[in-house]
Amino acid sequence: MILPLEISNLRKAYKGGTVEAVKGVSFTVNPGEIFGLLGPNGAGKTTIISTITTLEKPTSGSVQVFGVDVQKDPLFTKRQIGVVHQEVITSGFFDVEEILTFHSGYYGLRNNKERIHFLLEKLSLFEHRHKKVKQLSGGMKRRLMIAKALVHNPKLLLLDEPTAGVDIRLREDLWRFVEELRNDGMSILLTTHYLEEAQELCDRVGIINLGSLVELGNTKAIIRQYTLKKIRVILTERHPLQSEYLHEVVGKEYLFIVPQNKTLGEFLNEVAIPTALIQDIHIEEGNLEEAFLKLVSKKDVQVPL
Amino acid sequence: MTGFITIFQREIARFLKVIVQTVITPFISSFLYLLIFGVSLGEQMQAHQGVSYLSFLIPGLMMMGLINNAFQNSSSSVVSSKFSGDLEDLRVAPITDQEIIWAMSLASLVRGTIVALITYTVGALFMYYQQGEWLMIAHPLTTLFFVVMAGLIFGMIGISIAFWATTFDQLSAFSAFILLPLTYLGGVFLSIEHLHPFWQAVSKANPLLYLINGLRYGILGVSDVNVWTAAIISMIGFGVFFAVAKFSLKKGSFQRW
Repeated sequence: MILPLEISNLRKAYKGGTVEAVKGVSFTVNPGEIFGLLGPNGAGKTTIISTITTLEKPTSGSVQVFGVDVQKDPLFTKRQIGVVHQEVITSGFFDVEEILTFHSGYYGLRNNKERIHFLLEKLSLFEHRHKKVKQLSGGMKRRLMIAKALVHNPKLLLLDEPTAGVDIRLREDLWRFVEELRNDGMSILLTTHYLEEAQELCDRVGIINLGSLVELGNTKAIIRQYTLKKIRVILTERHPLQSEYLHEVVGKEYLFIVPQNKTLGEFLNEVAIPTALIQDIHIEEGNLEEAFLKLVSKKDVQVPL
Repeated sequence: MTGFITIFQREIARFLKVIVQTVITPFISSFLYLLIFGVSLGEQMQAHQGVSYLSFLIPGLMMMGLINNAFQNSSSSVVSSKFSGDLEDLRVAPITDQEIIWAMSLASLVRGTIVALITYTVGALFMYYQQGEWLMIAHPLTTLFFVVMAGLIFGMIGISIAFWATTFDQLSAFSAFILLPLTYLGGVFLSIEHLHPFWQAVSKANPLLYLINGLRYGILGVSDVNVWTAAIISMIGFGVFFAVAKFSLKKGSFQRW
């Protein structure tokens, strides 16, 4: 099967090899999936994106886009890729529509007005199409960056921290849009340090720290593996309960922290809570943030300055 | 090919958006040069090689404006793109280095040619007013050749330097410490025949002398150097700076400042 993106044992060193930003990373983005590359600032996420777009050359290892090495046939691979850079680009001379028209031209599209207008509408930029970039708000600039990445209808979309500095409502709009793109068949690589975003969007994630992948897999599976279930039992009156899982008691509320593989039935049997006293039971599943923090501290890694 | 056309159009649109800087300012400066040096001082200068000082000055100023504006156009476009970050777009898009170099240096040529034409027109008007005759171009094809060579060469020099530059200062250092002295000493304002033989020999090592005199030959039919020598040196310059520009795009930085 030809994969949209296949990265094998990628290394990138700077300053004559003394600083290794990426240390042998391998992962794939499968057709029609949203893959999240997660990690703290400085983990190497942007360096990986830069090697895919050929802004940087790998020190060793390979990056293949739809089966073609990006160093061997960059013109082919670049045509498949749309990229939203982390930093907002503020070209001073042209307005929104001109920027998108020129950008289409870079990808070989002369008459792309229809697609440009579609994207402007879709990203609520249509009425701002004659504004210069510096007249746009932060959120509009982000959306312009996304529109730019999509003018040529790429098959692989690289989103490098697309929601950094974006307010909650706009962030959710962007998430819906990204899901829509995926449903239309686009494969998406998303880097983010908002774990909530990754949990919401990504089918699979790779967690990267200090240039190495520390975990790679299905998002839900990772959450299940690295987090605990919280069971909060509220009783009608106080009652002495004995359990190794009991974490804290506040009034008539009992908080248990339970391994993910223990079913609710097993738990209730073990703890033997008198059914008549139970007013309510809340179960909170773990989240990606918990898993992430566990993985990062487990490997005892620090964030470089 | 579409990438090339798009960058070319973008570059033209860019300098037209800042037309005061790119076209009006050169117009004013060539007007002043011609008025002060050509018309006022020129009346006290003796005719050289059978041409008046004013007409001697016109091709020199045309070449000076052409070179400066060609250099400015590509270098400031690349540097301002580095500053805003959209230079990375060119690296990320499926465009070859050749397309970038040709599109940018052709746009440099267009801006340089506009400035040269303005200088020519202003100069010819002064001459008509002073001497009662319109300045005719002696050898149109030779003129075209040196205009095209100078525009492309300095467009490519602008690209090369801008891709290596890491600050605005480096760009103005090139203009102030290399380009300006070479133009002034390259025979814009005077014939090197008036110089001491030692400085004549030094001047002959200045590549700009050949572009300036090549254009002067094209317009007036007079030159300090052999026109074929000038043509060959221009072509060598073109080849060298095309290679340098290619190397700069390969090894220089597209990254944001």
